[in-house]
Amino acid sequence: MIVPFTPRTERRFIGKYRPKVDGREKASGRAVYADDLTLKSEFPGLLYAKVLRSPYAHARIRSLDLAAARAHPGVVDILTYADPDVATLKRTNAGWTDGVDTVSYRKMMWGTFRDRIVLGDTANWVGDEVGAAVVAETELAAEEALRLIVIDWEILPFVLDPFDAMKPGAPLVHPDITQDNIFPPDPFGGEEIFVDKGDVETGFADADVTIECRSVYHNATQASLDNWCCVVDWKEEELTVWSNSYAVDQTRMHVSQMLGLPLHRVRAISPYVGGQFGRGDTGDQPFFLFTALLSRRTGRPVKFRHTRRESFHDSRQPAIYTAKVGAKRDGTITAMHFKSVGNAGAYADHTMFALKYAPKEITEVALAHVPHVRFETKGVYTNKLPACMMRGVGNSQFNIIFGQIVDVLAERLGIDPVDLAVRNFGHEWESLPDPSLSRVLSEGAARIGWKEKRHAPGKGALIQGRVRRGVGFSFHPAWHAEWQETRRGKVQVSMTLNPDCTVLLAAPSVETGNGSNTCNVLGCAEALGFLGVGLDDIRWGPTVDTAVGLKDCVQTDSAVSYLQSEVMALAAVDLKRQLIEIVAPSLGVGEADVEIASGEAFAKSSPDRRVAVRDILLQGDLAPITVVKSRSPLSTKTGVPFIANFAEVEVDEDTGKVDVLKLVVVNDCGTVMYASGAEAQQIGGQVIGVGETLSEEIIYDPRTGVPLNFNWIDYRIPTMADMPDIEPVLLEVWKGAGEYGACGIGEGTVTCTPRAILNAVYNAIGVRVDEIPATPEKVLAALAERGGGTSKAESEAAS
Amino acid sequence: MAERAAAIVSTIDRSVPECEAPPRIVKFRVNGREVAFGPESGLTPAMTLAYVLREKLGLTGLKVSCDEGACGACTVLRDGKAVLSCMTLAVEADGHDILTIEGLAPDDPVVEAFAEQSEPGHGTALQCGYCTPGFVMTARALLDKNPHPDISEIKEALSGNICRCGSYQAIVQAVLHAAEKIEKRRRTP
Repeated sequence: MIVPFTPRTERRFIGKYRPKVDGREKASGRAVYADDLTLKSEFPGLLYAKVLRSPYAHARIRSLDLAAARAHPGVVDILTYADPDVATLKRTNAGWTDGVDTVSYRKMMWGTFRDRIVLGDTANWVGDEVGAAVVAETELAAEEALRLIVIDWEILPFVLDPFDAMKPGAPLVHPDITQDNIFPPDPFGGEEIFVDKGDVETGFADADVTIECRSVYHNATQASLDNWCCVVDWKEEELTVWSNSYAVDQTRMHVSQMLGLPLHRVRAISPYVGGQFGRGDTGDQPFFLFTALLSRRTGRPVKFRHTRRESFHDSRQPAIYTAKVGAKRDGTITAMHFKSVGNAGAYADHTMFALKYAPKEITEVALAHVPHVRFETKGVYTNKLPACMMRGVGNSQFNIIFGQIVDVLAERLGIDPVDLAVRNFGHEWESLPDPSLSRVLSEGAARIGWKEKRHAPGKGALIQGRVRRGVGFSFHPAWHAEWQETRRGKVQVSMTLNPDCTVLLAAPSVETGNGSNTCNVLGCAEALGFLGVGLDDIRWGPTVDTAVGLKDCVQTDSAVSYLQSEVMALAAVDLKRQLIEIVAPSLGVGEADVEIASGEAFAKSSPDRRVAVRDILLQGDLAPITVVKSRSPLSTKTGVPFIANFAEVEVDEDTGKVDVLKLVVVNDCGTVMYASGAEAQQIGGQVIGVGETLSEEIIYDPRTGVPLNFNWIDYRIPTMADMPDIEPVLLEVWKGAGEYGACGIGEGTVTCTPRAILNAVYNAIGVRVDEIPATPEKVLAALAERGGGTSKAESEAAS
Repeated sequence: MAERAAAIVSTIDRSVPECEAPPRIVKFRVNGREVAFGPESGLTPAMTLAYVLREKLGLTGLKVSCDEGACGACTVLRDGKAVLSCMTLAVEADGHDILTIEGLAPDDPVVEAFAEQSEPGHGTALQCGYCTPGFVMTARALLDKNPHPDISEIKEALSGNICRCGSYQAIVQAVLHAAEKIEKRRRTP
């Protein structure tokens, strides 16, 4: 039975179930993406670039012989590391942009780890862009030419495992940054022990019971369908870059600062983008730079696009977590000590964001009432695929241990994990129990049938002699309430009212699919309710162009759904004031006496005196009225709401296969901005969540460091046939600051899925699998460790 | 990867003696319109149908995402059957009818159903939209063959398409709604 969400406050547009504003355009195939926009027919003289990629996990180029490649038909130019254009480029870090906001080179967030050399001579993972880029008349000619470059490689020893990498004598990935592959302390993340509240030893001494757990999160990849591509046309007067970057402002800043052009000579344009999920999450990918340099050298527009294989250039930050937790017999947690090791791969990117920043935030918003908490971590370089953000940053990795300790501790104490959670967790601005967490968990429990379906671990009914069912859940504080977005600085929108009361909306934010454009159109109509503006009266465009001169609200943190609508609510106040000035003379009353509702202005003192705003404007000078509004996110500390996933699974004890039967996804949103879109995010996130938990995994050949499955046949993304029924539950319990007081939800829909499924697996078979993906092999190995097998367990139970 | 495959083919081509057969003209119909590729067109035997439709004919509704038959984003209809245009050589279209999403009527019931999908409990049938043309064409082929599919038949037919945004549940609903629309229009012409 479907229970639609009921809004706390009924509004005209916000919070409704309705089609996406771009539904028609996308369903008919008319929506244009970067690869569609940049056909050769649209760019006369277009050339194609391809970059050399390392076949070795760790190697240095001693020399290149380009003669055969240069002579290859169709080849126009080759750029190499020895070229002064390249050799003079500053070292960078792929984590440059994600202060969430556009930032300069100097202020880049992880400046301690400027480990990326654009087109350098050293490769740090198999697939690393290295050494040379070819530009040719066709993509094929460029690719063929790459294979004609004769390379003298110095093959270096490599390391894939972070524990091996920390051992003395291990191959060093970035010896200029660290002599033991362990990340040095950095200004944002701090020391290895980055949270040390109270004294954990005292907390453990106070405890009646202590438990220890370990969980392993692997590196899944974002797998957006829209392979990353760009066209750069560097003309004397201006460099233009069309791309599917999700952050055009940052692309402009990056190109400007790396290539030494003033901002007004760089123009970045992004149309619709086919999925983001955190991939690359920055505008500082080297391909923008060498494509630009090739355009300048050839005087022609140059296109660069990744193949699917090459699109495996980023992954979730893998982490191995251990935890020790102490509690009183009544379930009150006295101390928590978490340790993690993150495999950063070849470049630092946002590793420390994932390992430190996100867990630190957790301490504030979920562990505030636990007296003794310590977190420590090591980020470690290896010669694997760089790891970074993926639908969240560090949250999923932390949740897999967090949800485990709740389950394990509850079992040890003999209490329901729901009760254990509500007893202990909440943010520091509230007393316990946290109303959001209580409601999220009770709602999820009711929808999955928690009380009825849960049984002692491994003690459920045996179906068909080999299958067992179980239920589990995990929960997490949400993030991306307004106060967590203050790093963004100003959020900007422009609303132009035409004389006929139609609206030109400019709320720049690259539409990557999460529905923020629909939220913005709804927010605009809601804000202009006093003019009776409908959705069809608003013009918006999918293309974000820095030439417009408004900062794009970067598509991160799932927060764009409300950030720009909040600004529109303020812009509408300005607009109304201006309109009152214009219409007051027509009503023959003072401005203070004028009110506008449903498109009509009237005198408050005598409501019969009224005029249509549209009529007055059309009789006037016909100048559109433009309101540009900037507003920083409110820093009022409101805490955050909670999210939870509940899972029911079926485990085949003969084959080890886990089937998810049902998922319930509960999000307290503050305010639901767009109900159909929010439910699409809740349901949609489970493809990543279920994939990461059960089937998706990058597999390396340990002897060579070569990734073996950079394709979508062997890297297994769930299809329709693999997915369970998913029940989305939207709640409005918590409320943040601002008109709507909403909270981003998209990232959080994925966070709790792995642990919810793993806890359900434990409930089903009575043995833990705490390393994802929980493949049949791992489940069978765990069952073997349990011993006895089905029949013995059954016979024991029977005897 | 088409480029890689094409590269291999072109390498082989250079190693064999000049072909003596007269160059063929490849002809097929796209969305009802006849197209022909002669020797001057630059069409090579290694070019995929996806490449030719997108790059040479500008029909960019279909998307090339995995380029190896794993995701379905490039699905078009050949003589009414759904085919992966990234796994079909352009020369294999010779003499056939190709329908791309651009060839669907403006009021196509499948397109409408995908666009409108929004009722409670399922979300929208598309998010980023990159996989959508492929899903629409696969669904179109299914409904042409089986006008009243049940949920398991829909899942079976559409499980060759990947939606990373994860709108599968709503896509099933959209296909059910499309079937209803087709039925309704059939009854009230």
